[in-house]
Amino acid sequence: MPLAHTATSVPVTIDDEKCIADKGCTVCVDVCPLDVLRIADLADGSKTAYMKYDECWYCQPCEADCPTGAVTVTIPYLLK
Amino acid sequence: MTALFEEFSDIDELAEGLEDDAPGGRIMAVIDLADSADPAAIPYLAKAITDEDAGVRKQAAQALTDFDGPATAAALVGALGDGDAAVREAAAISLTELKDPAAGDAILPALSSGDEFTLTSALAGIKELRRSEAMTPASAALTHMASSVRIAAVGVIGWLQDETALDALIQAASDAEAQVRRAALLALGFSQSEAANAALSAGLGDSDWQVREAAAETLAKSGGPGSVAPLITALADDYWQVRLKAVRSLGKLGAREAAMQIGPMMELPIPNLRKECAAVLGELAVPETRQFLDPFSDDSDPDVRKNVRWALDRIGAD
Amino acid sequence: MDEILDGLTQIDCDILIIGGGTAGPMAALKAKRKNPNANVVLLDKAHVKRSGAISMGMDGLNNTVIPGFATPEQYTKEITIANDGICDQAAVYRYAQECYGIIQELDSFGIRFQKDQNGEYDVKKVHHIGTYVLPMPNGDTVKKALYRQLRKARINVINRYMATRLLTGEGRIAGAICVNTRSAEFLVVRAKAVIMGLGAAGRLGLPTSGYLYGTYENPTNSGEGYSMAYHAGAGLANLECYQINPLIKDYNGPACAYVAGPMGGFTSNAQGERFIECDYWSGQMMQEFYDELQSGKGPVFLKLNHLAEETVSEIERVLHIVERPTRGHFHSGRGTDYRKQMIEMHISEIGFCSGHSASGVFVDEHARTTIPGLYAAGDMANVPHNYMLGAFTHGAFAGEDAADFIGEVDFASFDQGEVEAERARVLAPTKRDDGIPPNQIEYKTRRLVNDYLQPPKVTAKMELAQKRFAETREAMETQMYVRDAHELMRSLEAASILDCADMAAAASIYRTESRWGLYHNRVEYERDDENWFCHTILTKGADGAPAHEKRDVAPYMVEIAEDEKDAYYKQRVGKSVAAE
Repeated sequence: MPLAHTATSVPVTIDDEKCIADKGCTVCVDVCPLDVLRIADLADGSKTAYMKYDECWYCQPCEADCPTGAVTVTIPYLLK
Repeated sequence: MTALFEEFSDIDELAEGLEDDAPGGRIMAVIDLADSADPAAIPYLAKAITDEDAGVRKQAAQALTDFDGPATAAALVGALGDGDAAVREAAAISLTELKDPAAGDAILPALSSGDEFTLTSALAGIKELRRSEAMTPASAALTHMASSVRIAAVGVIGWLQDETALDALIQAASDAEAQVRRAALLALGFSQSEAANAALSAGLGDSDWQVREAAAETLAKSGGPGSVAPLITALADDYWQVRLKAVRSLGKLGAREAAMQIGPMMELPIPNLRKECAAVLGELAVPETRQFLDPFSDDSDPDVRKNVRWALDRIGAD
Repeated sequence: MDEILDGLTQIDCDILIIGGGTAGPMAALKAKRKNPNANVVLLDKAHVKRSGAISMGMDGLNNTVIPGFATPEQYTKEITIANDGICDQAAVYRYAQECYGIIQELDSFGIRFQKDQNGEYDVKKVHHIGTYVLPMPNGDTVKKALYRQLRKARINVINRYMATRLLTGEGRIAGAICVNTRSAEFLVVRAKAVIMGLGAAGRLGLPTSGYLYGTYENPTNSGEGYSMAYHAGAGLANLECYQINPLIKDYNGPACAYVAGPMGGFTSNAQGERFIECDYWSGQMMQEFYDELQSGKGPVFLKLNHLAEETVSEIERVLHIVERPTRGHFHSGRGTDYRKQMIEMHISEIGFCSGHSASGVFVDEHARTTIPGLYAAGDMANVPHNYMLGAFTHGAFAGEDAADFIGEVDFASFDQGEVEAERARVLAPTKRDDGIPPNQIEYKTRRLVNDYLQPPKVTAKMELAQKRFAETREAMETQMYVRDAHELMRSLEAASILDCADMAAAASIYRTESRWGLYHNRVEYERDDENWFCHTILTKGADGAPAHEKRDVAPYMVEIAEDEKDAYYKQRVGKSVAAE
């Protein structure tokens, strides 16, 4: 029973320009109660946070605690 | 093996990150220093709040919320004049989180600041520390041009609960700005003096309903026999919120002479008000008011029903 | 990160606290203060900084008992009545006596409560009936302030480890088995006492949006506490008394009509008419809400559009800043504005949560469960209508009692085979090459909960649910497949959710009467005080399935007069009252 690759829109988006994951920042990853965020390596060698798992309570600690204002939380489309 | 426990790192080591060339690295160091909750971090954060990068300064201003005392306060007061609005605002918020009265030492000098933002923030910061030395500058600030300053000044005086400030508060109760009048009337709650009483009674006739509401509410604490008549007049206010507070205060004052005016209000369609009337009729326990309560002992609103039954019980079966 | 690693570590501590949300941190601080030499470990599957139901904060305390505003007797009476009399009053009464001290302590931590212009607590409303609401204007700082205290007290914190089973031996608690949520490494903690503060079972029913995580409760609270207590042999009380809450439809966050109520807002039907009047949530109130939704006058709305601008702004400020700050985004996305129109409401999916109802792991007034050395506090323990302050206060009781308990005992021995068996159970989904992902097991369980367990409860439907749950369990145990440690955590949650679903069905079938309004509305049965004025206690039977017994309600400390007992009935307005 192979698994499907189904696309889904995610409520948490990160502005790569502002994200300081490069500097070892993992604040948003640390504070997410559902542990849905991770750090990705970008093509240019830098790093940024992103939402890896679509399991969001739109509760907002990631946005509130981000030191550079890089994180935006919106309402998941299914609820909008 | 993945690390098990959260670490308690050496502060000097954590502070080395403040030397990072990139602002992001310095921000991370500030966050780690804050999480340490160790007062040894304060001097480092006091330095970080003067960093060349605004992001680092803002983070340091927020981080200082986790600490207390004069050194923390001094660093935050310094940041009230920052060129970046986000840094100033973060510092102002952190300033209101201080609990240690000694922290006030660093705030007191800022109470004579000519800068509107610094003055407002310093007043808001010193309020909860209840430093008596703040009374004089706060009283002076009541005549400041900016209403935000005047509101903050009323806050300081109200928390000090000092009778010598009555004149200043009473004057503020006739301020041009409704929000200042409202705050001043609420602040008068600590005083049972004639003067406070008169100011509050006068407030019942204010043009702004929220000011009238504040006056009606505060009379529960400050009122005396002289407040009963104006409160009875307020029972006919255009706003039910004002009437509700007037009913409550009449109950608190034990104004049995108001009971027959309150009784007919049980018929009004506003449940919040009816609940309050029933409770107050119980508190006043005037037998003649039974007729107003009897029809409602099975009211559909459980809170009204509960209060009516309690009231009837208090009044007694004759 | 997330790669599955092989590893097992064992550590010892005096007191293990599972759950770093609300009750847990307070238990840790109190235990450490009472016994500074105790080795206290606080463990959470998220990060303690932002874990649990109040990860973003709280807008106020709903159940403060502050001298001068309410008395312990009044409060105990109100809670007893709101729970149709099924209430052991000792725990409620002790809470009522001691919660004011906890408020003052939280205040000293830097958690702000609303104070008036003279610096006194600004409890809204003052009269004999008791006044319990204390707003928290800066309630967004709660978790930050707690974390600061934990760091200052040098509490040993373990983040991102999830407890999966409790260990027992010699008739008492022995520790817990835990697994890392990012590496699947195992941790066995031997402990002399264990305190559980794992929150509600918030992912039991499926929200109407269909989004698995769009729940009323924080979805990290997926019922592990109930499941672990069950497998360890502890008793769970009144699980048939579900939690169902009024909420903003689709957003699924609290409507907080109780915030708007004192300012003149109310719950209305589609005609803008008030149909129910009560400040306090109860099963009766939810029944009326449900009836109106089903009637031709539904749906139901939060009505504020008749209020003065100043009042609406004030309500908006309170509701949109803390607890669920995205609420403002939701309204702007929908183009809804409290000033212009009524806001559609609905009722929540079902769950277990004593925060607003009365079910949970059975505890006494010291937060002790039926297993010596094992404690429970907060939403998962059965003290009714506990809310946030109840979690703090009972967490404090647990921490203090455990600090004494560890002085009397050494580590209990346990069967090492249990650890091996648990490792095999947990890791089974990692050993397969393909199969059913945890989210589908979870979706199916929760969809069945909605189809068959949601009130009104019907026996035949609940029996069907049991049959379908058994099939789902079979699939879970033989076919569930995970690719990384994160998915492994979800698979463990799916198992807890299925355990809770089974317990909900079994408990609901056992109590053959209707009680608590909508929460246990069994359409085939009337209320039956003669046979069912009692707690029901569910335990794990010898055959591994739920077993049941009745337990007497403890004699009341505060008597309830006959004419007070119906205080929460008849909540529907006699005739429709048009909006003012």
